[in-house]
Amino acid sequence: MFERWKKTAKQTPKGLNIIIVGCGKVGATLTEQLCREGHDIAVVDKSASRVQALTDMYDVMGVVGNGASYSVQMEAGIEKADLIISVTDSDELNLLTCTVAKRVGHCEAIARVRNPDYSDEINYLQERLELAMIINPELEAANEIARVLYLPAALSVNTFARGLAEMVRIKIPEGNVLDGHSLAALGKSITKDILVCAVERGNEVQIPGGNFILRSGDVVSFIASARDSAEFLEKIGIQTHRVKDALLIGGGKSSYYLAKQLLEVGIGVKIIESRQERCEELSVLLPRAIIINGDGTREELLKEEGLEHVEAFVPLTGIDEENILLTLHAKEVSRAKVITKINRITFHDVLARLDLGSVVYPKYITAEAIIAYVRALTASRDSNVETLYHMFDHRVEAIEFRVRKESELTGRPLKEVMLKDNLLIACIHRSGQIIIPGGDDCIMPGDTVIIVTTHTGFYDIQDIIG
Amino acid sequence: MNRSMIRYILGWVLKIEAVLMLLPCATAVIYQEKEITTFLIVTALCAACGFLLTLKKPDNTVFYLKEGCMATALSWIVMSLFGCLPFIISGAIPSFTDALFETISGFTTTGATILADVEILPHSILLWRSFTHWIGGMGVLVFLLAVVPMSGGSNMNLMKAESPGPSVGKLVPRVRITARILYYIYIGMTITQIVLMVLGGAPLFDAVTISFGTAGTGGFGIRNDSIAGYSPYIQWLVAVFMALFGVNFNAYYFMLYRKWKKAFSMEEVRYYLLIMFGVTGIITIDVLRASLGTGHTVRDVFFQVSSLMTSTGFSTLDYDIWPVTSKTLLVMTMFVGACAGSTGGGIKVSRFVILLKTMKKEMSSYMYPKSIRKIRMEGKPVEHEVVRAVNVFFITFMMLFALSILIVSFDGKDMTSNFTGVLACLNNIGPGMEMTGPTENFASFSVLSKYVLMFDMLAGRLELFPLLLLFHPSAWKQLACRKKG
Repeated sequence: MFERWKKTAKQTPKGLNIIIVGCGKVGATLTEQLCREGHDIAVVDKSASRVQALTDMYDVMGVVGNGASYSVQMEAGIEKADLIISVTDSDELNLLTCTVAKRVGHCEAIARVRNPDYSDEINYLQERLELAMIINPELEAANEIARVLYLPAALSVNTFARGLAEMVRIKIPEGNVLDGHSLAALGKSITKDILVCAVERGNEVQIPGGNFILRSGDVVSFIASARDSAEFLEKIGIQTHRVKDALLIGGGKSSYYLAKQLLEVGIGVKIIESRQERCEELSVLLPRAIIINGDGTREELLKEEGLEHVEAFVPLTGIDEENILLTLHAKEVSRAKVITKINRITFHDVLARLDLGSVVYPKYITAEAIIAYVRALTASRDSNVETLYHMFDHRVEAIEFRVRKESELTGRPLKEVMLKDNLLIACIHRSGQIIIPGGDDCIMPGDTVIIVTTHTGFYDIQDIIG
Repeated sequence: MNRSMIRYILGWVLKIEAVLMLLPCATAVIYQEKEITTFLIVTALCAACGFLLTLKKPDNTVFYLKEGCMATALSWIVMSLFGCLPFIISGAIPSFTDALFETISGFTTTGATILADVEILPHSILLWRSFTHWIGGMGVLVFLLAVVPMSGGSNMNLMKAESPGPSVGKLVPRVRITARILYYIYIGMTITQIVLMVLGGAPLFDAVTISFGTAGTGGFGIRNDSIAGYSPYIQWLVAVFMALFGVNFNAYYFMLYRKWKKAFSMEEVRYYLLIMFGVTGIITIDVLRASLGTGHTVRDVFFQVSSLMTSTGFSTLDYDIWPVTSKTLLVMTMFVGACAGSTGGGIKVSRFVILLKTMKKEMSSYMYPKSIRKIRMEGKPVEHEVVRAVNVFFITFMMLFALSILIVSFDGKDMTSNFTGVLACLNNIGPGMEMTGPTENFASFSVLSKYVLMFDMLAGRLELFPLLLLFHPSAWKQLACRKKG
């Protein structure tokens, strides 16, 4: 009996004590994912039913109350907490919660702040309040949408190494040169500077080897430096110029962030928003954008505003169902690049069958950023998780590690290192250079290394050794 | 309904039972009793069934409250069925009904016995009998949660179904750690009691069995006169420990982490101690007034009150000879029971506190019809759902109580015996009064009555609804229907 006890005690991973304040969409996603990573979590919300819903589903402790109050934080165990994440509706409450928590306990704090009023001074706030991180899902979503609009052929674009390397996901069109190509031949005939990291065929995801033969209809993720990826796409006959104009539906925060970015690089923006008041606000905030006051879900209005001719169409209403419907409509009547933002709903299999093209999930973007941070907190000092992306429904992880110290992994040619199965060293970033590694390359201290794998839960670069 | 998960849990419960049965095995070896073969056979049987049931891990490990309740109720039934085998095979209790009654009485920590003479039983059987109290006290599924790695948050549904009290919370974020902390406290307190008893001159075997009975608030003694024959020190010790095991274990958790203020300000514990000492005081006066008292009245009264209120059921004298007021008070404390989150049974102090506060609120709503007022408990507002659940629990309890008395009355015993006998089973106490009193036993009931009482014991231990759910027609439909699984 005691034998078993000892054994199970050892198996329990050393989890962090994390308090999550606010059990909305992002709070629930974080709870789910951090719980899966094996941390001890207490959730706090004013609404008892929301707390109940989470404690029923996951192995977490629930506390009902105002997360910014000292006594509620004490009850949630702030004294022993390593991290507090505040993701309530209110920016001000989040900042207050974190400020109080920093005084009461000895923990790191992450706050969600999404009001554009603060977004320009976010670094100042973060520094003065000593927060580990300030997250802004709307801004992150806007960034991700913008990246795809710069490269509309891609389904999604994720960046690593501070934007030097990118992972581009494309669907191979009918009759493309890649159809029937093996990956080994790809390197010889087209380019050496890219690496295919994952291929999605039907419901399967694989990390392909050299003998893998591509087919049209496959969804391929490849990693390369920003310049090389455009070059590669040109070579295989896919258009890479960015869109000239975009039509956004809904004038919320993500619309604002997106429009601001697009206007900065000279892409024309037209926003349709139904509330007069908000339209006026937007026209002040975004003087160069065209603001239309009207119901963006009306077919006639969309036609009038030129949906057929526009190059990009991004529905950003607060209602997922409307966004999906607008996307499907746009795919029918126009050739525009369409990006769908989904906040809430989770019917992944139905969504997959709808063939929406590019889909952006703000809550996952936020969760990934936080999980990357949490893994870095957990890991030893030798290496740190810098970036993390979940792909294909959490079946594949792409992780960027910073290698700090020498180890048995560093300084050795990669062909001599035994790696785990289903794992790929996709790219090495060394002093501003992006290296797509071959067998003779080695990992050096100071590099950041990007790993693509179907294993989940890597904390440390050493985890890749088989 | 996730049937494969229920099967898997049942399998694990049997495996655990097999392991636990090694303790009586060891006892049989020490005392060189022939029951060693009996226990080995049953252990092997439990282990074999357990391994068969857990051979295939379920694909879908998610289960909801209904599965939690079903699994808990079925676990307790299956556990009792296997647990009664040693009594039958060894010939200690040859009748199946009686053996099952004794086992259920053990696991549910009731302590009602059908045996007139326990002193003739071999040590290993006596130990198993007392050990069932200890296993049932904190709950076998809580133990399961503590030792078996199971993923997912749905585990909380198992704990909810098995742990007593109107609302079950966690001490720490993880169910597993919570369950472990509870067991550490439980084991720690049991060992303390054993040590203190041995230091007080009790033989080790007596110390162990009585401590098991006290810890689980069970009440199986190993002598025919229960605790009466032991020294005053032992009697005081057992009385105090019974009271301690009736306290909400959260209080001990707070003490472990030196949150003294929090531990001592627990409203339920205060009411619990208030009732216990108040009743002890009144009965002492009453007994002395009727000049039945002797030099050690206070000890005897405190022992009986502590024993009946925490639903343990040890006794040091026949309280049937006490005056009517004292006996009435005793019956009332039997209704109240111990604290939620303890090993004790009964309706629980916290439920009564909530009921009383609801009553007060209702009265004030006559005075101020438009006033809005939330009931508070432990300094926090009580959710409406909890109040509703407490009301329904109380009504269901009373109905089940009345129905059981009706069926048991066919045996032709007097009203007091039936009333207190059913109460003693439903609240997991053990002895009632008159013909079910501390000097009597339950052997004289008919087979039908015994099954009714067994049902009452299980229903009382699992707080009614998990067991009653087994009788919900759609529960069976869902259990039988493959598609919904």
